[in-house]
Amino acid sequence: MPFINSQTNKADNIPIIPLQKKKTIFNTFKRDYQLWLLILPAIVCVIIFNYIPMYGIQLAFREYDFTAGLTGGEWVGLKYFEQFINSHMFIDLLKNTVVLSLTTILIGFPAPIILALLINQIRWKRGKKILQTTVYLPHFISIVVLVGLLNVLLSPNTGILGLLVNKLGFEDLNLLASTKSFVPVYVLSDVWQHVGWNSIIYLAALSSVDPQLYDAAKIDGANRWQIIRNVEIPAIIPTIIILLILNMGHIISTGFEKIFLMQNSLNLPVSEVIETYVYKIGIISNQFSYAAAIGLFNTLINFTLLLLMNYIAKRTSKISLW
Amino acid sequence: MKKKKLLSLLLTTCLATTTLVACSDKTSKEPEKTEDGRVVLTGLITKHPLTKDVNKMEWLEEAEKRAGVDIKWEEVSADWDQKKGAMLAGGDIPDIIVGPNAITDADFSKFKGLFEDLTPLIEEHAPNVQKMFDEKSELKVISTQLNGEIYGLPKYQRYWPNTGTRQFINQQWLDNLGLKQPTNWDELYEVLKAFKEEDANGNGDPNDEIPMDFAPVGTGGFGFFQPTVLLGSTGMTIVGGGGQGYFAEDGEVKNFFVDDRYKQVVTFLNKLYKEKLISAEAFTQDYTKYQSVARGEGETATVGYTYGWELTDRFGNELAPQYASIAPLKVDASSTVQPSWTYDYNVLNYGVNMVQMSSKTKNKDAAMKFINELYDPKVSMQVLFGSLGTNIKDNGDDTYTVLPPEDEKMDPGTWKWTSTWADNGPLYISDSLKLTLGTDMQSVGKQTEALQSALDAVDTENDVLPDTFLKYTEEDNNAMSLVNTELMNLAMANFSKWVTKGGIDKEWDAYVEKMNQIGLPGNLEITQKYYDDYKSKME
Repeated sequence: MPFINSQTNKADNIPIIPLQKKKTIFNTFKRDYQLWLLILPAIVCVIIFNYIPMYGIQLAFREYDFTAGLTGGEWVGLKYFEQFINSHMFIDLLKNTVVLSLTTILIGFPAPIILALLINQIRWKRGKKILQTTVYLPHFISIVVLVGLLNVLLSPNTGILGLLVNKLGFEDLNLLASTKSFVPVYVLSDVWQHVGWNSIIYLAALSSVDPQLYDAAKIDGANRWQIIRNVEIPAIIPTIIILLILNMGHIISTGFEKIFLMQNSLNLPVSEVIETYVYKIGIISNQFSYAAAIGLFNTLINFTLLLLMNYIAKRTSKISLW
Repeated sequence: MKKKKLLSLLLTTCLATTTLVACSDKTSKEPEKTEDGRVVLTGLITKHPLTKDVNKMEWLEEAEKRAGVDIKWEEVSADWDQKKGAMLAGGDIPDIIVGPNAITDADFSKFKGLFEDLTPLIEEHAPNVQKMFDEKSELKVISTQLNGEIYGLPKYQRYWPNTGTRQFINQQWLDNLGLKQPTNWDELYEVLKAFKEEDANGNGDPNDEIPMDFAPVGTGGFGFFQPTVLLGSTGMTIVGGGGQGYFAEDGEVKNFFVDDRYKQVVTFLNKLYKEKLISAEAFTQDYTKYQSVARGEGETATVGYTYGWELTDRFGNELAPQYASIAPLKVDASSTVQPSWTYDYNVLNYGVNMVQMSSKTKNKDAAMKFINELYDPKVSMQVLFGSLGTNIKDNGDDTYTVLPPEDEKMDPGTWKWTSTWADNGPLYISDSLKLTLGTDMQSVGKQTEALQSALDAVDTENDVLPDTFLKYTEEDNNAMSLVNTELMNLAMANFSKWVTKGGIDKEWDAYVEKMNQIGLPGNLEITQKYYDDYKSKME
């Protein structure tokens, strides 16, 4: 009867050390095999689609030769990496990619948190639901359509937003064609599209806050702002940190499609990022090995950042992926 | 209970794996045949988005029957570049691929062994192709790879003019404002300024006129209908609307992106842009928008001066009569330079790699017989203009006439592209064919007259780079395309910036130096080598 035991032990202040086998992967298989079975299809999928194709990485170190297949070309070592780093595009590409993705995270990451906190403040249930649905609908617009929308809305001659901007005194500002406006347009439209959807997870975290905490805070005389600061934000901090770490994992993998669609010769100096360049080199000019090397380079940076972020989070707040 | 669960799980896994395996197993040795004994082949065609279902083209059905084949066509009208990469790398390609340079020389050398060397098959089964090579030896030269093999067959369509781009000005607006057609840049500037400031189209609104517009400039180089034709004013003969800037002058290969004359043109365009004489959306609109803006609303034109292929194609049937095609401009009134223009005869009339065969084709003889059919004089004509009867009239005395569109509202150009493969097909129009062209082609001829004297003055041997005809080794090709990708990134971004914001004078020297650093001199050297080679072969 462990129940009674623990009670008596508490009273006597004698700690009982439960007999536990040392945790190894092997005995978790035995103990939790149902859970492992449950996750098996997912593991198989990941192996088939994410790990097996990784043998293609060697293409980055080989001269691609069609007749010999992916794995048959001659070894060239780091030739393609050197070629990329010595390329005249390298600094610009890296800069553009980092600027674009950092801004996306800096603006795009806090936005859903703020939105979730705000939505959570709404007392009128129906209104809350309507608002929530409205803000997450844009998430389902395909990127092609979204960029089409941007083109129509921001056109300086016929677009409603474009006209508005020009009427406000920014004369002849073509938001689609300026190196200055590319990043803001990209990031803000991205926030607009995904803020509602991304806030769902925080709302879920908020809904699990113990009502007693709210009551206690109110009795202590806390106002709304204090409740948000001292009750709600601490409740969602673990979620925030985990999501931030995960986001770090693809910090310099900007979305290819949207950038590519928004690209034109005027915003090219800021809109050419690693992924669009890989497309131009790899697919358009058939340089598979070179493109593979650039892609791998990109992934390695992402991976390093993920590790770094995880480490920092672990050290500072004890919350981490592993 | 546990065992049951495990069993069902195992079963599901097995099922999943078997379906995966089953997908990859479909090879059979024997070529497929239809009920009436025709060989079944697979084909892929990259076609114009307007072009109708190829299975509904009568001439094609007849050609297939005569060759004893039945082709299952896959039709691609968008994003071919993306699809191609994946398809070739996968190695699983259709028996026949049709389309203008759909598979490039670079692909042949990159994907060795994927395409069939047609040389022996031509001798055996393709008298029409053989005849074409005999009549026009340059066609054989441009389809033969450096190692002497022939993977892709060319086209020759004879009737096309020396240039793809014409410049049009709204004559009615000029008349309304009492102005003359401009003959040099200064006059063009004055005319555009008048278009901008006054109510040129006479609809009461002085602000709805767009003085000048040009086709969207991409990030990979220049093309038709773009203001690069103004380079002609400086005596430079560009090819195909500009491309990646390579051109020939006195037998020397150069690139206009680092030429002072290009700087001159950009400076002029910037002057126009600063005064809002160029459409504010010139750099952001897409081609469809470019096209629809010029077609205006009803009888009210919106664009004053622009570039295009042909008047009805550019402005629609209703507005076309308002416009006139004008001669190349001089830089200024005192200029003594013989103006030139973009020289596109080779690009428009010749095409390389229009059709190729997979090396895995089971019945190569049949496939070659079909390809040979396409080069039959009568079939070629139908590939280009449409079926006999509906699109072409047989006059009975060995002469033919291209018929006007069945739908009166449609312009002839659109009709042609709708009903057949048109310029995207492999074909050979022999110089002896007697064919009366449609009204669009006749008017293209007429609209080219203004440019004719400039084009006639071009020394085609030393001042035209035969870009489409040059064959590079894989190594040279790779090196060049890498450098070109980087060059265009810098050059096209700067072009747009300098036109819209200015500053070319200050940045020019640093820009030229950067272009040289990236590797332009190397590319010029390589191209020069092949150009000299080509010239010696053609003699």
